[in-house]
Amino acid sequence: MNKAGPMRTAINTGRIEWSGENPGIYLKENADGDYSTLGLFFRVVLSPYGRGTGAIVLGEPDTPDGWPKVPNFIIGDNQRLFMWLIDGWISKMPTFVGRIGLDHMSWIDLLGSTKHPTDLKSKYTESLMGKGIEVQMIWQELGVPLPVELTAANSVTREHEMYAVFLEAQKARIRVNNAPLKGSVQSRQFFGKTMSTAFLALSETWITPKRMS
Amino acid sequence: MHLDTPIMPGRVDWTGENPGILLKDDNDDFSAMALFFRVSWSPAGQGQLLLLYSDLQSDHGSASQPNALIGDNPQLADFLMENFIGKLGAFRQARPYDHLKYQPAFNIRSSGDPTSHRYTESISTSELFIELVWEDLEQPRMLELVPEQTGTKEHFMTTLLVPAKSAQIIVNGKALAGKIGSRIQAGMETTTAFLYFGETWVIPEG
Repeated sequence: MNKAGPMRTAINTGRIEWSGENPGIYLKENADGDYSTLGLFFRVVLSPYGRGTGAIVLGEPDTPDGWPKVPNFIIGDNQRLFMWLIDGWISKMPTFVGRIGLDHMSWIDLLGSTKHPTDLKSKYTESLMGKGIEVQMIWQELGVPLPVELTAANSVTREHEMYAVFLEAQKARIRVNNAPLKGSVQSRQFFGKTMSTAFLALSETWITPKRMS
Repeated sequence: MHLDTPIMPGRVDWTGENPGILLKDDNDDFSAMALFFRVSWSPAGQGQLLLLYSDLQSDHGSASQPNALIGDNPQLADFLMENFIGKLGAFRQARPYDHLKYQPAFNIRSSGDPTSHRYTESISTSELFIELVWEDLEQPRMLELVPEQTGTKEHFMTTLLVPAKSAQIIVNGKALAGKIGSRIQAGMETTTAFLYFGETWVIPEG
């Protein structure tokens, strides 16, 4: 500890929870309104439940129903991993807290996924396919990569430290069976600055600090 | 680095995965070296790359012991060779470094589980099938290093280390000679076979 606050040490003493990629798209129909669409993609390379790829999409976050009636679903290839992520992370994120759609979303098996990163500036796409459903998450006009390091007090779960590289996207959309979900990208206060509600999050690692683990 | 600064000062050079296996002979000299990259962001885009020194005593190696640079993005290979690998003393000073010729990969895939017993990267070309195998994996540890603690001496670096107690480099079905050794990283004794996930290299401000 010094005048500027606590410093990192070379070896983090906390418990490693998971690591991977976790880009998101949160859309609103108007800047002052609530979110109309929430989407999070996961490519987990290390966790207690193994590796996994998938996405959570709530196209009607406050409707107690799932796919195909409304576009509320999770599509993935590792159910135990995603149940653990919902319980420990997603349900604790302020954007998802209290969303009834999370409790009623449909679970869909992932049959295939592809990534189209292009030049990492103009357009970045994650595509997922399940039985009777195709999902595209598209980020456009990407900014420079920002190295991010959060304490438990600053992280969205309030329980974990987090390291990641963030890239803001000025535009983004989610398409389900070629139909766009409602809303457009807005701005929000994040990491102490005004940032977009659409972002890539690469090289993301979540850690439970030693005092909490 | 201060904990109360959410965005680290500096410019991201590249980020991704960077596992490696360094084998040693009975004299404790390196006998074979492999470094693999799965880059999720760089100025040269995404991509994967294998740097393999099977024969450190020759420029190009041989069919059974090739010195090879294999990947799926030649611009990324150029970027990493010039801006990163060329700054790692043990790789830059090795005899094959100046003689490597980029080859396009036919297929690259990972398998296994880094929290379990075994993890592999498999890389193939029209003539080579190379497997990097890490076994007896230890618990993952998050490292945050200042430039003096890194291989380049120029970057801040964060990474998730999974050390392996045994490892093999297998070329066309035959394991290269040598065994893994020990090394010190950030004051901690670890091995010369390692998985690195979520690794980010940052060029400090100024």
